Amino acid sequence: MMTTTTPDARTSRSGLILRSAGFLLLWMILIGPAPKDLAVGLVAAVAATWTSAALWPAGARLSIPGIMRFLMRFLMQSVVAGIDVAWRAVTTPPAVAPGFVTFRTALPAGMIRATATAIMSLQPGKLPVASEPDGTLLIHCLDRREPVAQQLAADEAAFCRTLTDGGQHG
Amino acid sequence: MTILAHVFTLLAVTAGALLFLAGTIGLLRFPDTLSRLHALSKADNLGLALIVLGLLPQAASLTDGLKLILIWLLAQLSAATASQLIAGSLNRRKSGP
Repeated sequence: MMTTTTPDARTSRSGLILRSAGFLLLWMILIGPAPKDLAVGLVAAVAATWTSAALWPAGARLSIPGIMRFLMRFLMQSVVAGIDVAWRAVTTPPAVAPGFVTFRTALPAGMIRATATAIMSLQPGKLPVASEPDGTLLIHCLDRREPVAQQLAADEAAFCRTLTDGGQHG
Repeated sequence: MTILAHVFTLLAVTAGALLFLAGTIGLLRFPDTLSRLHALSKADNLGLALIVLGLLPQAASLTDGLKLILIWLLAQLSAATASQLIAGSLNRRKSGP
């Protein structure tokens, strides 16, 4: 759950300044470095920093090697997901056997679990539709004949490795 | 080199457009709303990735290239969030009062 702790209570001032600079850089890449636009960019960067600090789960720390491994896996899985759904769409009749599976996640409710389910929805054949407080996820899958539970466990494990503590913080 | 870059662009952008087409076919042919969401979120994301990849050699500057990649990332983020919201609201409507 989102807490009401002020951002400054958890993140150091220098960390926040660095994060704002990062957001400003992203803004400048998207909009351009023209000085007349920069005021809007600064406001946007500060707003983004405040939001990210407020939403960031307390105590969660990212693991850089975990993120690199996750990104490689995510990109490969995105290719598989796109080709899989494209192939299912164009075969006659469409090669789908849609249905629901439930999966028990170890991830705490809140931002971490919401992030994990959003990423799962980009992976092949799965779309999380509901998340219960006890950790049960209701997942729609395009093909119930696939080993969905194993795939979900692998997705969750890869996601957990992006956090230094394996996602035990809410 | 330039010809190679152009050929790469042509192939990647065509493949990307084909994935968008397949996603749209899925949207029309899949049997229910949730299955259609799969078609939209997954095929279109790979399609956009291929179009961005194909356009990278044509980018005039490093900033333009980064901008293309950022656009893809933002589209991924919005696709993942939107499909979660639509799926959640459908589920609540089905099991609601």
